[in-house]
Amino acid sequence: MRDFLNLMLEPLQEVFAKFMAFVPNLLAMLVILLAGVLLAKLLRVLLVKFLLAIKFDSWSDRMGFTTLMRKGDLWLKPSAVLGGIVFWILVIVTLMAGLGALNVAAIDTLVVQFFSYLPRVFSAAVILAIGYLFTSFISRAVLIAVANSGYHYARLLAEAIRVLLMLMILAMVMEQLQIATNIVLAAFSILFGGIVIALAIAFGVGGIDTARRVVEQKFSEAPPEKAPDDIEHL
Amino acid sequence: MSDFFQSGIITTLHQLGQPSLERLESELLGFAKTRPIALVLPALYSEFERPAMPGIVQELTKVKYLNEVVLALDQATEADFKRVRETMAPIQAEVKIIHNKGKRVSEVYETLRRNGLDAGPQGKGRSAWLSYGYVLARGKSDVIALHDCDILTYNRILLARLCYPIASPTLNYVFCKGYYSRVTDKMNGRVTRLLVTPLVRSLQQLAGQHGFLAFLDSFRYPLAGEFSMSADLARINRIPSDWGLEVGSLAEVYRNYSPHRVCQVDIATTYEHKHQILSAEDAEKGLMKMAVDICKSIFRTLASDGVVFSDGLFRSLSATYLRQAEDTLLKYESDAMINGLAFDRHEEAKAVEAFTRAIAMAAQAFVENPMGTPLIPNWNRVRAAIPDIFEMLKLAVDEDNK
Repeated sequence: MRDFLNLMLEPLQEVFAKFMAFVPNLLAMLVILLAGVLLAKLLRVLLVKFLLAIKFDSWSDRMGFTTLMRKGDLWLKPSAVLGGIVFWILVIVTLMAGLGALNVAAIDTLVVQFFSYLPRVFSAAVILAIGYLFTSFISRAVLIAVANSGYHYARLLAEAIRVLLMLMILAMVMEQLQIATNIVLAAFSILFGGIVIALAIAFGVGGIDTARRVVEQKFSEAPPEKAPDDIEHL
Repeated sequence: MSDFFQSGIITTLHQLGQPSLERLESELLGFAKTRPIALVLPALYSEFERPAMPGIVQELTKVKYLNEVVLALDQATEADFKRVRETMAPIQAEVKIIHNKGKRVSEVYETLRRNGLDAGPQGKGRSAWLSYGYVLARGKSDVIALHDCDILTYNRILLARLCYPIASPTLNYVFCKGYYSRVTDKMNGRVTRLLVTPLVRSLQQLAGQHGFLAFLDSFRYPLAGEFSMSADLARINRIPSDWGLEVGSLAEVYRNYSPHRVCQVDIATTYEHKHQILSAEDAEKGLMKMAVDICKSIFRTLASDGVVFSDGLFRSLSATYLRQAEDTLLKYESDAMINGLAFDRHEEAKAVEAFTRAIAMAAQAFVENPMGTPLIPNWNRVRAAIPDIFEMLKLAVDEDNK
């Protein structure tokens, strides 16, 4: 009977002992989570105050970031959105750090993978932000230049350039995040290659006579003689 | 039927003979193909619970030449907004409702505020201004007409006559103000009759002939809330956010365009709407508040055009105005008698006394702060500060209306 009881109690004791060994890890995780969330909240408040002080919202309004948010039906202040993003990134980082404190082998691997992925996320965000600014600048420059040259299709061309540049930047971001890298690369190459071929064919077929005329004028004909100058130089 | 006399420096389009609504609407339908027309309606939700608005909506359902109707709704909850959408649904033209208290439109106002472009407090001025912005953002209309939403005697001929001078490609007008007689069984429109006209004529007596005063005096009903204009004018005009809205808007039209391109049109034989109390003792509400704001707007417009206001001028103005207003009062009494209208001379005299105090208050406010509350900036300036504002406004309103 005693053996039977031992047989039953031993696994329970073992579970209890494992649980007791696990409790400090669990407590550590909870403390890390609590401290992390509080710190994230504090940082969010400080960041939002800082952004308001440097008039980040007005800057975003002028640079078009606010409109970009509105297109996504996000009707908050840009500073609040950035504060929220930073808050949730810190919460996720804290969660990962907390999970690491549990000392579970499977979770440890996940945590290591997560932290090694973070730099990629950061650089993708930087590429996206700079790329968006660059695209807006180029698109606006094209709009002004083409409109000043008197062409009707200035807006269309500027929008087309904006879309193409954004596609290129999104491909770079996806590549950086290592999401379906091969597919993105292939799709991007096909799309851009297709556009270039289409333009080449369009010009080749439609502009062949013009091109021939230009080349013939350039190389075949002798340059016209300059008319004698009316002004007598001293 | 009115006379056909042309007075003042702007064109007056009278109602002569029997007006044909069918002819007007069929011509407007043709004009609208090349000059699409938008109707702007600044409204409070409470106006949908009164008898005027259902009547207006019923009339608008029969109008075929409108390209779009933009209703700027104030003091409405989400549920009220939905009810208004249902009420406006029978109108044939595309209807868009600007939910001023909604999350998205509030954020547009906030965006403007943080960029130093305050659209002012809630009111008709702000609502009208944002509606113009939305019409410009859509870029689908060349003519904008606006009327109040408390007209009890609304008939669609009012809208047709209001739109005609601007929509017509052969008439070269950019701004058209409606006029009508504010008569029921008695004479209404006290602020126009007993304040604006006598004040303008007193100022002409004191300050001499001045272009703006002649311009303002040309309007038969300068405080009428009904007008139409070209979309270009909506782009460059600034708007006051207080009760000086009508006078301030006329000042902007005077500043930006020649009087040859401005007209007024007789739009209704009878006109009845919500009345304001005089509030002679409290200058913060009722007609007194309106009177003070109007006087301030006139003083500031004249000052910005080089007229020098001294203490002496203001003292003389009170006396001159009082004489002018009393003479005017006698004229209207005679007019009322021959037409068998009720005329409470004592009440009218009390209104004149109150308006005299309003002029003094406005004069004091002007002396203390000659610049006053800045006008709501024009849309060209707003776009210079926030290039994507039209896109943002369009997104906000379109999302709300989905």
